[in-house]
Amino acid sequence: MIEEIKKLVETGKLKKIEEAVQEALDGGADPAEVLDSMTGAMDSVGEKFQKNEIYVPEMLVAAKTMQRGVNVLKPHLGAGGVGKYGKFVIGTVAGDLHDIGKNLVAMMIESAGFEVIDLGVDVPAEKFVETLKANPDCKMVGLSALLTTTMDNMEATVKAIKEAGLEVTIMVGGAPITQAFADKIGANAYTANAAAAATKAKELAA
Amino acid sequence: MIIIGEKINGSIPSAGKAIAERNEEWIRHLARIQEDANADYLDCCASVNVNELETMKWMLDIMQDETSTKICVDSPDPKVCVDALPFCKKPGLVNSVSLEGDKIDVIFPAIADTKWNVVALLSGEQGIPSSVEERMVNFDKLMEQAAKYGIAANRIFVDPLVEGLATNQESLLTFAAVCREIKAKFPQIHITSGLSNISFGLPVRKMLNMAFMTLAMQAGMDSAIVDPTNRDMMGIIYATDALLGNDDFCVEYISAYRDNLFGPVKA
Repeated sequence: MIEEIKKLVETGKLKKIEEAVQEALDGGADPAEVLDSMTGAMDSVGEKFQKNEIYVPEMLVAAKTMQRGVNVLKPHLGAGGVGKYGKFVIGTVAGDLHDIGKNLVAMMIESAGFEVIDLGVDVPAEKFVETLKANPDCKMVGLSALLTTTMDNMEATVKAIKEAGLEVTIMVGGAPITQAFADKIGANAYTANAAAAATKAKELAA
Repeated sequence: MIIIGEKINGSIPSAGKAIAERNEEWIRHLARIQEDANADYLDCCASVNVNELETMKWMLDIMQDETSTKICVDSPDPKVCVDALPFCKKPGLVNSVSLEGDKIDVIFPAIADTKWNVVALLSGEQGIPSSVEERMVNFDKLMEQAAKYGIAANRIFVDPLVEGLATNQESLLTFAAVCREIKAKFPQIHITSGLSNISFGLPVRKMLNMAFMTLAMQAGMDSAIVDPTNRDMMGIIYATDALLGNDDFCVEYISAYRDNLFGPVKA
């Protein structure tokens, strides 16, 4: 049963997942174990994506399948069951309206076991700082930028977060971003795609 | 079809490198091959964080020394767009305005009493609206402002914006519906798009880009920001225009073929 759920997530069988999860629960399966199997499925989906074996919509439908399964699971999980790695604040920096990459990262991070707070696009540095202050239990933040010209705003946001004295791990990404740039602006991590971001976030949160 | 050649853009890695190294020959080459491929405008986007205007001027001088094709001045900073206009030998296209920030307030007055055309994006303060209705609300607001400054519809290139098919399977349908509504309201207006977004995250992207091109053209798109040296794409554009009845006696299609713009490469 658990193996089947894993497979359903991996292959993105949106329509079948809810019933399968319900059946597993009815059969006495441990909800935490069901959740683990889905997280494991997403790990393997992320890995395949990074190897170019699958494409964006395939990754997307897998994450959506997991979300549906989790919704069935939620009432049966204890506190901290979903989002076991804690909160993760994410947004596209000021001046930049691009959201495809940011949304993919948010979805993969959520699937990996974080509670995601998505601030959307064109997010001013102050908004990141405010949100992190309002969520003192949140130890991670992800900044996205697609335009070369908004890279400066990413730098300013990192600066603002640090100046506010917030001790959080800052991850950055987006088409023009490189490891060198991340190092230069003092971000804690850079990853090249959504799947790698999820893996890295788990590593840093552990 | 009005072709805006996209190759001189600092966000394309090879062009970005050429700009950073002030490689004049490379810029000259990109301008030359795009003019030879019959581009109507050459996009000029520095995509740098510092000295954007100065970089833009360096690029514009080379491009206009090499070619006589009109320029599409491209920057996310409206002030840079406006300040770069005097560097152009003749009026071209400003890329772009939208309802974001002060773009309209800076660009519209600067081009009001000129022959400059302008690209208008339908994004709002909160990014790309997903519905046809919301995009049309943005469109109406833009046209209201354009009317205020006396900028006629035929000087406006609306970019309805393309979302990735990988993440939104209604993307083309929404785009086409917006095109039809816009053309119904303003038959003289132009519709353009940097369409390669459509295929993000999918294999063999050129298939989707070309299929998008034909469907969008049928919905009223009459311009595109593309690589004019992409022979397959150019062939599809000429073929589609002919099929849509925009090419009397297929003259354009035949002469583009004779000019070696698509089809088997002639020596």
